[in-house]
Amino acid sequence: MKRPVTLTINGERQEVAVEPWWTLLDVLREELGLTGAKKGCDRGDCGACTVLLDGKPVTSCMVLAVQADGRQVVTVEGLAAPGHLHPVQRAFVDYGAVQCGFCTPGMIMAAVALLNETPHPTEAEVRAALTGNLCRCTGYAKIVQAVMAAAQHGGAA
Amino acid sequence: MSAHLGPTPLRVVGQRVPKVDGVDKATGVAQYTVDVRRPRMLYARLLRSPHAHARIRHMDVSRAQALRGVRAILTYRDVPPVVHAGQPQPRAGSLARDQRILEDRVRFVGDGVAAVAADHPDILEEALALIQVDYEVLPAVFDPFEAMQPAAPSLHGTDRNLVIPPFIVRHGDVEQGFAEADYIFEGRYETSRPMPAYMEPDACVCEFDPSGRLTVWISTQAPFMVRGSLSEVLGIPMSKIRVICEHMGGGFGAKQDLYQYPYLCVLLAQRTGRPVKMEYTREETFVAGRSRHPVVIELRQGVTRDGRLTARQARFVANSGAYASHGPGITRVGTNALASLYKCPHVYIEGLCVYTNAPIAGAFRGYGAPQAYFALESQMDEIAAQLGLDPIELRMRNMFQPGDRGPAGTPFREVMLPACLQRGAELIGWAEKRQRPADPGPIKRGVGVACQLHSATSYPAVKEAAGAVVSINEDGTVQLLIGAADLGTGAKTVMAQIAAETLGVGLDAIRVVSGDTDVTPYDIGAYASRTTFIAGGAVQRAAEDAKRQLLDLAAQELHAEPADLHVTDGVVASRSDPGRRIAVKDLVASPGGRSARTIVGRGTFAPRNDYSFAAQFAEVAVDTETGQVEVLQMVAVHDVGRVINPTTAEGQVEGALHQGIGYALMEDLVVDGVSGKALNANFADYKMLTALDMPKIYVELLESVDDLGPFGAKGLAEDGVCPTAAAIANAIYHATGARVRQLPIAPDRLLELIP
Ligand code: FES
Ligand code: FES
Repeated sequence: MKRPVTLTINGERQEVAVEPWWTLLDVLREELGLTGAKKGCDRGDCGACTVLLDGKPVTSCMVLAVQADGRQVVTVEGLAAPGHLHPVQRAFVDYGAVQCGFCTPGMIMAAVALLNETPHPTEAEVRAALTGNLCRCTGYAKIVQAVMAAAQHGGAA
Repeated sequence: MSAHLGPTPLRVVGQRVPKVDGVDKATGVAQYTVDVRRPRMLYARLLRSPHAHARIRHMDVSRAQALRGVRAILTYRDVPPVVHAGQPQPRAGSLARDQRILEDRVRFVGDGVAAVAADHPDILEEALALIQVDYEVLPAVFDPFEAMQPAAPSLHGTDRNLVIPPFIVRHGDVEQGFAEADYIFEGRYETSRPMPAYMEPDACVCEFDPSGRLTVWISTQAPFMVRGSLSEVLGIPMSKIRVICEHMGGGFGAKQDLYQYPYLCVLLAQRTGRPVKMEYTREETFVAGRSRHPVVIELRQGVTRDGRLTARQARFVANSGAYASHGPGITRVGTNALASLYKCPHVYIEGLCVYTNAPIAGAFRGYGAPQAYFALESQMDEIAAQLGLDPIELRMRNMFQPGDRGPAGTPFREVMLPACLQRGAELIGWAEKRQRPADPGPIKRGVGVACQLHSATSYPAVKEAAGAVVSINEDGTVQLLIGAADLGTGAKTVMAQIAAETLGVGLDAIRVVSGDTDVTPYDIGAYASRTTFIAGGAVQRAAEDAKRQLLDLAAQELHAEPADLHVTDGVVASRSDPGRRIAVKDLVASPGGRSARTIVGRGTFAPRNDYSFAAQFAEVAVDTETGQVEVLQMVAVHDVGRVINPTTAEGQVEGALHQGIGYALMEDLVVDGVSGKALNANFADYKMLTALDMPKIYVELLESVDDLGPFGAKGLAEDGVCPTAAAIANAIYHATGARVRQLPIAPDRLLELIP
């Protein structure tokens, strides 16, 4: 039986009817058309589905939609106003941290969460914060560079 | 980075420009195949065999069919019984046709036996569970050497379960070569089964319109190959099939293979009259994707006292798994690689590719070369140690010269290995670290080196070709149509740079359109290390063609000689009289009211090949009590001809090193030797390096003068993974004296070998 949940997604309140077993990721992607968060594994191993739930990074494939009822969700689509880029997004583009881009939305959300907590992380802190996010294209080199650069330019904006 | 080459200064080529699709990807709006959604779309999934080898006696789908929301089920009785190739490169020399869409026989755990389409993905699992299959289990074989025995179960009825007849490379007379040797070295090297593990699972969406035209969105490296194969197997004319892949989440070679699922998805769409989406679970990408081939290499070399190779004899035995896929190709490339790298007058190498009931091996970055170079470069290190020579010195004594024949049969235009070795040695501090006294505690450090050379293309096995079209818009901006797909490597960006440079317009003026067979010219696919080299060559020619037309027009308008004109920043001007100038947009659509001119440049490029070179150095710290290896740093020096975009080029090597270090130390899909089941088909158990695990890596790109490719560019994408495992194995030997001849170099394996 579906039941209604209320989610505040990227600042907008939305009501959705969900099955109790649906994940937040599936609801974002399938019901709400927000396909920025990606499904790389559906079991919490890859981080491609990372979003912010009440400001904290979560793998949205491991959160049931009903658990997110009444809470705030930020996805990669909601990081910046239309036509603008969040400093972390800007740095990812400028530093070549995006290759295929499939890990990118999750990576960016994990990095944003880090910089919100720790505006000036060390490289080791950046690497530690990204361990839950797999990337198969970049060897993480330019991703780490991009996050460090975003921090320098006030990435917690 | 060395200064750029050639007389004319370049504006766009050689610059670190951001990716043309970077913003789309960083904001989450880029649409991947998994993001495609169509009205009334159904969802489909495959039922997969739990047995490694079985015949299907009987199937009953009635209970599944009766489940609410199930719209169609396909079994082997419902599909055309066309035998086809998994590696269907239409212009390839050898194809092994051994696959059917479905059949009453399964050959590995994970082979598809039925496909179900339903209203919602929630229903699929239950529907699959309701399909009853009566299997007659057959004996299975997983080891290629056992599979070649006369008593072994036969997978496809071929001699000794061979996928193709043995591939032989022979020159000189090895017997004579061994007779001339002072020492003979012999070793057996065994490689693992790493997975490409691209982040976007395999997926497609298939839809027919009422007039019978089929659109297929699919995560593929080779849209035209998909179109060709669907056409051939399903009997639909190519003009009625449109294949689209705008963005893809990685492929690394594997997504240039045609699996069972796109055929089934098309058939389900046909049967239901509705769009159908099929998306692999992560587990399916492991069990039913394509791995790098596990290979056993028996290598024997003769060498003189002063370190000159006299003979090389080897057997390269690749485990193809249940179907051929790219087995014929990788066997050829691996065998050729094993015959090459260093000069040796007498060579005899036999390449075998063997069917077993293991999961399917296919194309994965390096295509046979990482296996070959693991063996060859490990043994070179053994020889150097035995002869008391520096490993670099041994390599220098056996170096090829320009004009010598390379692994693909064409001669080397230049040999950049000495330069790569020299620069890498400087960067890592080779001389000093090789002399360093052994570390006193249980943690021992060491440095090692390995090299590679690689062909950018698959010539001569595949008749390489790429096409591009440059069309100038009325406002002077440019549509660039390329057949090549962009796997995420930055191909679109590099193509835009080449076009902008050639045409004399800004990068912003170029819109790259790719990955749509209805729109772009033909391209055989994005594989090997070919796209910058070949598709880039086509783009350069198309842009030159368009520019020629522009200059002809401008010459008329300005009453000038075309040779006197040049295009800069979208303006055509005379060199001798710079006051005579006209904007490109005014040439195309004159403000005077004349109708717009059509300027369309066409380019194709069908070169043979070119070789790129690399030397990689590893520094490791080995805990001799636990067998844990920590890679402290990697130095990778690659010769790539001209670098079109340093950022994307470095990115290729950095990503390859991630996969290469994983190959050396941990990545392996473990297949149970009794059941044939993959035991670690998920990201928790299949270990890859995380951001925290990656060591310091230092990539340097050497630019060499070569005029074959666009602006002198050569291939790069595969190269980075080819020497890494051997460099690490050699560093471990330097640190500990343990010679590991088997991948991955896991702690327990290493501990046994530490003296
Ligand atoms: S899809 Fe959620 S962690 Fe992989
Ligand atoms: S950019 Fe491809 S997975 Fe990270």
